[in-house]
Amino acid sequence: MKKRKKRPYLWFMLPGFIFYAIFVVYPIISAGQLSLYHWNGIGEKVFVGIQNYVDLFSDEQLMGEMFNALKNSLTIFALTVLIQIPVQLIMAYIIFSKSKGSNVLQVAIFSPQFISTPVIVFIFTLLFDGNVGVVNKVMEMIGLGEYTRSWLGIPELGIYIIWAMITWAGIGVGMMYFISAMKMMGADCLESAYLEGAGFWKRLWYIILPQVKMTIVNIILIGYIFSMTVFDYSYIMGGGASGGTNGSIDVMALFFYRMAFGDNNPLGGKISTNSVGMGTTVACVLFAMIFVVALIQILITGRRRKDNA
Amino acid sequence: MRDQRDVMSKHHGKVAFIVKILLWFYAACTMFVLVYMTYQSLRPRRDVLSKTFGVPETLNLDNYIELFTEEHFLRYFGNSVLILVLSLVLLIALSSMTAYGIARYRFKGKSFCRAFFLLGMMFPAQLGVVPIFQIMKNLGLVNNQLSVVLVSAANISMPVFMLTNFFEGLPQEIYEAAVIDGAGEFTAFRKVMFPMATPVIFAVCITNSVTIWNQFFLPLIFLQTDSVKTIPQLISKYTSNIINSMDMATASSALSTIPILILFFIFSNKILDGVTAGAVKG
Repeated sequence: MKKRKKRPYLWFMLPGFIFYAIFVVYPIISAGQLSLYHWNGIGEKVFVGIQNYVDLFSDEQLMGEMFNALKNSLTIFALTVLIQIPVQLIMAYIIFSKSKGSNVLQVAIFSPQFISTPVIVFIFTLLFDGNVGVVNKVMEMIGLGEYTRSWLGIPELGIYIIWAMITWAGIGVGMMYFISAMKMMGADCLESAYLEGAGFWKRLWYIILPQVKMTIVNIILIGYIFSMTVFDYSYIMGGGASGGTNGSIDVMALFFYRMAFGDNNPLGGKISTNSVGMGTTVACVLFAMIFVVALIQILITGRRRKDNA
Repeated sequence: MRDQRDVMSKHHGKVAFIVKILLWFYAACTMFVLVYMTYQSLRPRRDVLSKTFGVPETLNLDNYIELFTEEHFLRYFGNSVLILVLSLVLLIALSSMTAYGIARYRFKGKSFCRAFFLLGMMFPAQLGVVPIFQIMKNLGLVNNQLSVVLVSAANISMPVFMLTNFFEGLPQEIYEAAVIDGAGEFTAFRKVMFPMATPVIFAVCITNSVTIWNQFFLPLIFLQTDSVKTIPQLISKYTSNIINSMDMATASSALSTIPILILFFIFSNKILDGVTAGAVKG
């Protein structure tokens, strides 16, 4: 065969490259550049250097909002690591151990993954609402009537409720990752552990856990990126970008949205004259925060791969 | 497999038993919630709001009929389908070609290309949305479903990663046989290599269609007029004001959730395999 095209791989990669470059790579670079301007996307564009960053980290109002949002995002992340991942691991272990009906269990636990966020939030309303909520009704029935309240309206609980929604919706994915990591393990090593008298939980601790270590690291990273970019829950539950009473359900992505697109809550919106400048500044800070953690994770995995080799 | 089952399921002990009961309770609650939502969607608004737990007097499909006749549910559905189908087709075409280009050929900068296309996993599209909004404004695509399609289809990092691994695992002989038969590079890809990747493509479709179908952020930014909005936007309109639209909220939620879940229950084994395909050795 004659070579008609000298570098066919270029032609194969070109369309993907163009799309990827325009809608994934360019926006990162462009955001970095726009963060150096005072601009609202329509009016005059003034170069201000790093002034936006200085403002973000010195203006009390802005800094307060950002650190509150960051605190909430990190709360979600911490709860994910401390509670959700261990629960996912135990769920996976129970299902992996093939007790009766584990298939049904797995499907039921995974199914909320297919439900869109507005419906998730609505389901929580049906459960926890002060007037029509199922939970209050059940509490009345079992004699805890005096403790009923409008659960979703308590600011102190806000971020935990957001986390509960996220967890209910997404717990199945990590669980499936754990199960598939466990399946890659040889049955013989479990068998020998069993023959040596290791019990159910001992096997989890000494045999399963080392096997899924890398999966845990990956899920922690995914959870971190997710908690820094989760947006829908707070936006829908707060009925806009305001972040709830006193910012109780504010998160980083919502703060970013508010800076870039204004706060269009029902009480009337406000959008700054520097929406593009400050919006991209916040985006860049978030980029940096994700990038640093991802880099650390890559270094850890890289070193482990070398150790194993 | 049978040996493993025997080994694993013996001697679980008391704690394991309690954990299992808890898991079953949790799973039952999840299922109950869905049934409960569907049940409420069959009742008139005032019954749901004032006699939430009372004996149901009327159970009918009126809410659904209103959703279709007066609330233009089909239009939102059509918008969602349009975005899903175009995004998926474009995403699969772009990512499979890119992955094939990287995996199939030897060239300088190959590992750089792999790393370059992986970068996107670290940078979710929503953080770049301000510049993207400027691009869409210049292209005149704000309030046009294509804007969401283009951004969704450009999110190729994970599919490229999965497909590159797949194509690299294919034996060289298959490709050579195709070329000897007289097929050009692209024909070899389209007629021989691409069909072989069907399981991986299926996995990519499963994970991405869920994300694209349920996505909220991009439509919120780009689709602001009612005629182009998607189903999640319609639902959030109802759920944000349940006093006035409890009936529409329950009906639209059930309608957008239950059929998909039934499909999932039927094909759960295949779908769950697809979900985890990307995680292997992640």
